[in-house]
Order: sequence, then structure tokens, then C-alpha cells
Amino acid sequence: MKFQTIIVGGGLAGLTAGLALQKKGISCAIISSGENALHFSSGTFSGDCPEETVRLFEEAGIVLKGDPAKDSWRLTPSGSMQKVRLAFEDVTLYPSEKINATNVLIANPEGFIDFPTAFIADGISQQGIPCKVKSFSLPCLKLLRESPSEMRSVGIAKKLDGCIEEVAECIKGLLDGEDLVILPQVFGLASPEPVRALRAAIPAEINFIGTMPPSVPGIRVQLQLKKAFERAGGTFLMGDTAIMAEIADGTVRFIRTKNLDSHILSADNYILASGTFFSKGLTSSMQKISEPLFGLDVECPEERTEWYSEDFFAPQPYMAAGVKTDKDLHPLRDGQPISNLYAAGSILAGKKNAGMALTSTFKVVKKIAL
Amino acid sequence: MAKSNEFDVIIIGGGITGAGTARDCAMRGLKVLLIERHDIATGASGRNHGLLHSGARYAVTDQESATECIEENMILRRIASHCVDETDGFFITLPEDDLDYQAKFVESCRSAGIRADIIDPEEARRLEPSVNPDIIGAVRVPDGSVDPFRLCAANMLDAKLHGAKVLVHTEVTEILKEGDRVLGVRTLDHVTGEKSEWYAPVTINAGGIWGHGIAEMAGVQVGMFPAKGALLIFAHRVNNIVINRCRKPANADILVPGDTVCIIGTTSTRVPYEECDNMKVTPEEVDLLLTEGAKLAPALATTRILRAYAGVRPLVSADNDPTGRNISRGIVCLDHEERDGLKGFITITGGKLMTYRLMAEKATDVACRKLGVDRHCATALTPLPGSELGGFEETIKKIWTMPATTYQKATAFRTGSSAKDIEKGVGLVCECEEVSSGEVDYAIRNLEVHSLTDLRRRTRVGMGTCQGELCACRAAGMLAASHGCAERARKDMREFMNERWKGSRPIAWGDTLRECEFTNWIYNHVLGL
Repeated sequence: MKFQTIIVGGGLAGLTAGLALQKKGISCAIISSGENALHFSSGTFSGDCPEETVRLFEEAGIVLKGDPAKDSWRLTPSGSMQKVRLAFEDVTLYPSEKINATNVLIANPEGFIDFPTAFIADGISQQGIPCKVKSFSLPCLKLLRESPSEMRSVGIAKKLDGCIEEVAECIKGLLDGEDLVILPQVFGLASPEPVRALRAAIPAEINFIGTMPPSVPGIRVQLQLKKAFERAGGTFLMGDTAIMAEIADGTVRFIRTKNLDSHILSADNYILASGTFFSKGLTSSMQKISEPLFGLDVECPEERTEWYSEDFFAPQPYMAAGVKTDKDLHPLRDGQPISNLYAAGSILAGKKNAGMALTSTFKVVKKIAL
Repeated sequence: MAKSNEFDVIIIGGGITGAGTARDCAMRGLKVLLIERHDIATGASGRNHGLLHSGARYAVTDQESATECIEENMILRRIASHCVDETDGFFITLPEDDLDYQAKFVESCRSAGIRADIIDPEEARRLEPSVNPDIIGAVRVPDGSVDPFRLCAANMLDAKLHGAKVLVHTEVTEILKEGDRVLGVRTLDHVTGEKSEWYAPVTINAGGIWGHGIAEMAGVQVGMFPAKGALLIFAHRVNNIVINRCRKPANADILVPGDTVCIIGTTSTRVPYEECDNMKVTPEEVDLLLTEGAKLAPALATTRILRAYAGVRPLVSADNDPTGRNISRGIVCLDHEERDGLKGFITITGGKLMTYRLMAEKATDVACRKLGVDRHCATALTPLPGSELGGFEETIKKIWTMPATTYQKATAFRTGSSAKDIEKGVGLVCECEEVSSGEVDYAIRNLEVHSLTDLRRRTRVGMGTCQGELCACRAAGMLAASHGCAERARKDMREFMNERWKGSRPIAWGDTLRECEFTNWIYNHVLGL
């Protein structure tokens, strides 16, 4: 099978690259094993984001709030305020390190323990704003509650998305003059409509805050990007994994995948957007950190003991590991760039965030679409 | 009436020895105060193999220890059935080992009263498929595994049920003396910052390796020999039968299954006393444990490792052996009045996790003699809380009429008959170990839980494959609600994650590193800590 560009990785970088290229008339295939960082997104992007992001996402039906070049603030599930650039429409962004409200209600489905209401309430109180925590229960959640492993974000969203009117009535009943309602991100799994409907029905601002994974808005956005990519004519190889790449004379010749074992996939250009350890873009052994598909040169500390910081919350050197590239983002192999291969997203060495992933992605898109 | 700060006996140290001694003293009618600097089972009691020794390991070198072990082994099966897993153990001979040692080993076991059956290597491979297939000999002995956290918690709970007062996160800062007599202790409560004085005619030093410093505070010397032992926990229960090497005790020659995991250990290195509070596992120790461990069960070489940790054995110096291997693991009970002329002070140390009950009995006998109390020890006959209904299967049948769910079974496995007092609760806090919110609630209410780390030792929250990735935040939320202090719970969550990271760091590669990266994303980015 022949494409103009083959992209390894169906996360934020891979999907954005695929969609942008496809819109420019370049036929792409994305090989996605299915696990990526969007599935536990906070619903926000931090770091310098390219201007093009907002337009491209809008074409996929995804509303991004905020200014890609200027910091806003989000209220986190631990109650702190954090600098971000863009946010999915679920999240309320604030222009300063203080939320915009005079009286807050935090409402949580009864028995849902993946949403630390006590921390959020404490953070809001520390800003000097009165805040109450209430739980709500609906008949549609009864069955979920009986099975202790079912009370998770996605399971709840599947139920609540089907009865937004009841949810709205229930929350209105809890309201006691508050002008901000904080809800966990357990709405809008398949489309953003439930989020919009709830906002329209409730006479107060609603800020949907992240839960423990999986991320409901993250899954939705991934799905919206994938659909937009396919609508634009792209080929999405779902649940497949690139297992072998043939390289000769400094260029990639073809790729083999796990599912298409008798076929080879070839293209003019290849983009490696396979992410870090979690999505297996990088692997590690007792001795070293490596890039498993192309055997690329990896930037990371030599000794294993140097991979880590003692403080869990400090920057971890292993998390900055990634492939080495030349200035045009061609990865190096034994010190030499591979001319038709590009690297984008978190597989690149250095500090990682959504802004950096999107910036490198658009840079690669421009090179390929020249 | 006695004042509220006056007791018959003060016990310093909330490890298994202290908790067991508190139980024994309380059961003999004494008014008991137990003081622990951190949480129960923080020191060596919680940093070992969890091996219910049959005594076979010591049979050749130390008959006295071997006999103590087999007697206590049989007692714990009765009184602590919910803490004990009756796995049996193998002593295997590899081609590089001397098969002649086996005969001497079996003979020594039998003379100490330990059942030891030579079995055919073929039969051994059938009974324990994970064992190294190259074995040339195997002996079956009544080893088992014991959960030290559960055992400690059950002893503490029973001491409290018999009227003992337990202070955790409270440090003894001074031993109060008058002339040649110890009168009590001065303490600092690390949670409230409060300083207090407590009085009793008898004070028992059960501080494990830290007993060295406690004795010094009282003005007497107990020459302790801090011997660090490093261990690795694997993410799967690779073996169902304990596997030992049939040779003179050496490094990394015991593999113990426990709950959902298995543990290889140990090393033995002398460490300075000052370092006992912060043991780190070195890359060399990890290499050694992996290499030697794979000789017992080759699957270990490809099994995911969960954590590395180290404890410090409270051995009492007897000779100048630099490794600590040749020092007797026997029990040391010192009446400082006889030894040093210091009245009202006893040190109980040495011994092993699973001889704690006998150690407690010896210390309590001395205390009773000093107090003129003539009551006999009943701890060998009375089941601990959680073990009253018999074994696991019987307990489940007696508690629930409907077939138990997997998480109910997990709860019953951990808490034994106490599972009947645990509310169903909505939601699973820890998926890896199937800990329900009801079990977490129960622990917070009844088992002296002040932090996430305390909760982990009571319930196994955060001990599973994900090492706290999802459950730490859930449990922290519950603690925040129950203690009414979000700030403390958030700080506690940070400490807990760092404590988990300390154990992951030495072995963070492969899937473990993937999981660490994921956890880091959740706490730093999603939660925004």
C-alpha cells in the first residue's frame, strides 16, 4: 500500500499532522495502536501553541478557548491554579490566578471518588470565595453504583449524556444563589452537545474540571480529530502497530505493521509521532533508553542512575529523553539524518507539553507540504 | 484512682515486637501504653520477606532458632490464620550446589522438630512449575508466608480491645529517671506538636534497631549490629511455594509468594547506625538480587519488578563478623536491673518477625515479675482479631450468605472475620488490590490511620501494580473528608507519591518506567500538584 505520507502514532501530534496534511491534499495513513496521551488529557494545552491550531481544530468541530500566544489560568482538580494557553470548551479559563465567582457550588455524582472535591473546595476557599460541596444522585446511575468498579468517568458519562435534562433539573435543585457550578468532566463523551446543553439550562457559569483518567473530553477530542481526518480522506489504521522499518541509503523504504503482516506500507515521507514510554515510542531496559522502530539516536543520560530525580514532583531527566534530529526535524540514526523521516510531538528530546508537540507538528507539515 | 498518664507498663516501638508485647501485657491485665514514633510496622517489621520460617533455614547453623521458629510457625497458623498463607517451602539444590549438604540439612531439620521430606526433582517441578528446571534435589518443609502489616495491625487492635492505649506518630524524646530507676518517658506528638510525660513502673524498649538509641537515652548500652537487607517485589505471584537454596544461608536465596506478589531477598551489609532511617537500594544490590533470584525461578528475569526496598535487622553484636550472617538470630531479652543496675527498664530485641509472640511473652514475663503480677501468657492460644472464625473459606461462608464478590473475598483475605464489620461502600478505591471504599473507611475509623502511608499498611492501597497511580488521589480525598483537612491530605499525597517513587526508582525501566511516567502525568499535569 502506497501513501504520500505515513504517520506512526495517532495521538495529538499524529492526528494534527494527518488532518493538516490531508487538508492540503496530501494522502496520509496513520498507524495507531490506540493508547495516547489525549486519553488522560487535563482538557487544556500549555506551552506556546501555533496560531494554526485553533483554525484546524475548529474545522474538526473542536472549540478551543484561550489565546495560543498568551497565558490563561485553569482551576485544577487539586484546587490550585495553573497556567495554560488553550482549553477544550468544557473548561473555564481565567485571565488571572483567581477564579471569577462570588459563590461556588461543587456538585459531584454520589459515590464518584475520582474527583477530589475536598481539594477543589479548599483551593476555592483559600481564594476567599465561599464554596459548598454537594452530591447528586440520579436513577440512571443506580446500576453503576452497585458495581464498585463501574463508577468511573466514562461509565458515568455514557449514562449522564443520555439524560441531560434530568441532570440539569437536579443541579438547579442544588443551586442556592451560586454563580459558578463546578462539575467533574463526566459529560460529552461522543459529542460536545451535552456540555453545551447543560450550560444552556443552568443559570450559572459551569466549569467542568478534570477527573482521574480516562479523560472524557480527551477521548471525545481524539475521536473528533480522527473523524475529521477520515472525512478529509485519510486512512486511520486503528489498533495496529508499526513493528519494522526498512531503511536504506539514508531513507525509509517501507514499514511493516502487526496486522498487515503480508503487506508493506510505503510513502514519500514518514512522520514519527509515536510519543514517549507510555505509548511505546520510547522503550527502556536496565541498560538504555531506545527508539524501537527505526533504531534512532536517543538523547538521554548515559547511566540509569542519572535518569531520575529523587523528588517525584521535580523534572525527571528520563521524561526529557527523546530522539535527536537535525534542524529540519529529520531524526538521526548513527549520527546521520534520515531524509524522508520527520519526528513530531513528545518523541522529540526536551521539555514536553502540548504546545511543543503542536509546534513541531506544524513545522513538519510545512516541510512536507512545501 | 490512677492518673490518666500513669500506666503499669510503657512499651516503646510499634513494630511487631512492640505490638505483640502490648497485646500480651494487656491480656495479662496490665494497663499498657504503646508509643510509636512513626506508624506501626514502619521499620524492619514492614521491610522483610514476610516469610513464615519453618526454621529449616537455621537448622544447620542454629538449632535453638530453628526450634523457636517451628514452634511459633505452628502457633501463628492457629492464632493468625488471616495473616498466614500456608504455602510450604522448598529447599532446592542446583547443579552448582553440593548435594551432600541435603542429607545434613534434613537431619538437622528433623532434630529441631521440623518436618523435612526429600522429594524427587520431577515432583518438585510438578508442584511448583516456576522452580528452576535444572534442580538436582528438593526438600519440602512447612514454610509459609505471613503478612507483617496485617499481623501488626491485628496485635495492636487486640491490645486496644484489652484496654491498651496506642500513640502513633509520637516520639520518645527522653527517658525520665530518678536515681537508678526509670520512671517513664517524655514524648513529642508529631501531628499536634504536643509534649507530654507518661509514667509507669516498667518501661519496655522494643525499638528494633532504634532500640540502640532508646537504650542510650536510658543510659545503658545495647550493642546493636545494623545489618541492611535489600529485597525486590515482583508484580506477579510467580511461585506458590516458598523457594530457598539448600546451602549455607547466603544472598538472595529466598523467594516468598505473598498475596498478589512475590519477594526475592535478601542481601546483608553492615550499615552505620545513623543511616538506619533512610535505607536506599543500590544498583549493585538490584543486579545481585535479580541474578541470584533468576536461579531460583528463571521467570523472574522477565517478570516486571514493582519495588525495591531495604530493612535493617536488629541484630545484637556477639562477634566481629562483618556480614552479620553468623550472628544468632535468637531472641535477646535484657533485664537492665540485673544487667546494669537500672530498675524498671527492659530491652527486647533480636529475634525475627515470626518469633515476635515468643519475644513478647519473654518481655511480658519479666515485666510481670517486676510488677508482682502472677498471670500466665495466653497469646499462643487466643486467636487474633480477624482469625476468630477460622480459615479464609470458612470465614467467607460465615459472613456472607450470597457467594462473595471478588472484592469481598479480597477484603476477607486481608481482614479475616473483621470483614463482617465493613460496610459495602460505593466504589473501589484501589483496583489493583480490590480495596473498597468501605474497607478504607473501616481502616480510617478503627486502625489508627493518620496518613496515606498508614492506610497502605492497613489495606494494601497503593501496593499493587500501579503503585498508587489512581488510588492515592482517591484515598487522599477520603482522608481529607474524614480528617477535615484538605491541606494536610494534599501534603500527605505528595509524601506518599514520593515514598512510592523511592521504591520504584531503583528498578524503573521497561513497563515500570512506563507506569511511572503515566503516574507523573496524572499528578503533575492532570491534578496540577
